Amino acid sequence: MAKLRYAYYPGCASQEITKEANEATRKVAGVLGIELHDMPGANCCGAGLLTDYNHELMLALNARIFSQADEMGMDIMTICSTCLMVMSCANRDLKKDPLLLEKINGVMTGAGVRRYGGTIRVKQFLRVLKEDYGLEKLKKKVTRPLSWLKVAPFYGCHSLRPSEALGFDDPERPRSLEELIRALGAEAVEYGGKTKCCGFQVDLVAPDTAVEMTAKRIVDAKEKGAVCMVTPCPFCHINLDNYQGMAEKKVVRKLNMPVFHLSQLVGLALGMSPEELGLSRHIVSAEKILR
Amino acid sequence: MKIKFKITRCDPFSLEKCEPYWQAYSVDVEEGMTVLEALLKISEEDDPTLSFRRSCRSAICGSCAVTVNGFPKLACSTQILPLYKKEGEMTVGPISNHRVIKDLIVDFTPFWDKMAKVLPYLTPTHEPDKGWVIKKEDANIIDRAQKCIMCGCCNAACSSLEIDPNFIAPAACAKAWRFVGDVREGNRKKRLERLSEEHGIWDCVRCVNCTQYCPKDVSPLEAIERLRSKAILGENITDNPGARHVVSLVDSVKRVGRLDEAAMTFRTLGFLRSLGMIPFGIKMEIHGKMPHPLIFPAIEKIKEVKEIYDVFEKKKKE
Repeated sequence: MAKLRYAYYPGCASQEITKEANEATRKVAGVLGIELHDMPGANCCGAGLLTDYNHELMLALNARIFSQADEMGMDIMTICSTCLMVMSCANRDLKKDPLLLEKINGVMTGAGVRRYGGTIRVKQFLRVLKEDYGLEKLKKKVTRPLSWLKVAPFYGCHSLRPSEALGFDDPERPRSLEELIRALGAEAVEYGGKTKCCGFQVDLVAPDTAVEMTAKRIVDAKEKGAVCMVTPCPFCHINLDNYQGMAEKKVVRKLNMPVFHLSQLVGLALGMSPEELGLSRHIVSAEKILR
Repeated sequence: MKIKFKITRCDPFSLEKCEPYWQAYSVDVEEGMTVLEALLKISEEDDPTLSFRRSCRSAICGSCAVTVNGFPKLACSTQILPLYKKEGEMTVGPISNHRVIKDLIVDFTPFWDKMAKVLPYLTPTHEPDKGWVIKKEDANIIDRAQKCIMCGCCNAACSSLEIDPNFIAPAACAKAWRFVGDVREGNRKKRLERLSEEHGIWDCVRCVNCTQYCPKDVSPLEAIERLRSKAILGENITDNPGARHVVSLVDSVKRVGRLDEAAMTFRTLGFLRSLGMIPFGIKMEIHGKMPHPLIFPAIEKIKEVKEIYDVFEKKKKE
């Protein structure tokens, strides 16, 4: 198999607030032999909010990211579901409408940016592991099967919807996270909230709605027997972990639910230590459930 | 092929059946048969007490939205066999986020109230002497919103509505865009001001469920995005947390090429509400999670990003 190489786009959140997700991904990719090439000139995708301002500006800024990957000759790998959704939708629009692509390329060349050819693909780490690397191969790399862990997979919204733009997994009966959890030797807990929203986008705008949503997801996972959750999205992680204290106040009960980034759970099964994976940065400690 | 249908029954006016319960029916399903055809078959041949709404049988009237295997769908345009083969079960219930009247029939009063709130009719303030001539691109911009058949699938799937019953919700937003986006409309600013209030367009969590489950490709989320953009850029309605959040992101990306989360929080909440975030900020700082805005380096070649912005800002002035 040819070496897996990607233009690596961690997203803004994982360069600051959820830095640990970025660091863990780099370490895990290193062990698995997946090459991640930095994109120091890549801008923010707009996190969905840029569309609310000016849709074409959002397209042009995303095309700028794509053109850099184009120049590197690689597809993009991100570790953020919102980046995945925004970039996939922008890429879909640019690929299906040559006139639009031409218009946006016109804007870009005017600003001294290389034209985008409309060819690259955007993938999330979860998809890279499942489709490009292969879960069977990953299973063979596991040195410490997480057999004692009952994990609630939390897909959230943007790794599944809109499914026609993402083209990965089944939005109603997704399996990729569960398969990954099982490949790591852990048990995947089934619960209704796994494809629902964490509320992140309205944390500052409608905080009551956001906190109640976060609380519902954690309570749901807990009641189905999960001792921890795992998510492929740093924004979901921010709500499920950082805001868990507020969620506890909302439902007036202790939740105490450690939440892992996808890369951290993989790293643990590959034998890495909690320190290496930045678990101490989490608000809710995972110490009690780790062996 | 015999398939077991598990259907949620409920009769709030009956003492024995006022709580929802599952009832199973065995249906002989042929290739191409829809969920609505199965429901009709059950009610005609097996159980005439099973209640559900239907009319056109061709995805135009919007009457037959139900929950099929957990997600909102039009019964008349959902084929049974492909779904059953994929998911191994066939469950039908009333749509979520609505009060059940009986079995699969829900109360649509809140749905219509929300529609009424956005004044679903054109209010032009003048008419050109020779009448309106609508350009194709002007018609195209509201074309998707016009396809809405008001079935309620989007509201049933809406994450915000599930938590906040006062949320305006996607169906009414799509309807609002149909009129705000119409070149003949005369009260655009007033409409957008009302929509920018609490429980309005800014309370959408962008879960994409509305767009995912709309059976007519209306994409209510796109309508919400267009309303937001029109409110900020078209009418300068920015004195609310939602718009401030967007504007602060726009500025942050222009300045450093990426999200400056601390600055965005401060600008979205304003000084006083930001003070309330201090205990949370301290907790974040202890865990090394507090972004430091003063040492926030810009991406490489930030000049390119600024120049892209300039192109659009020039366009806006023109």
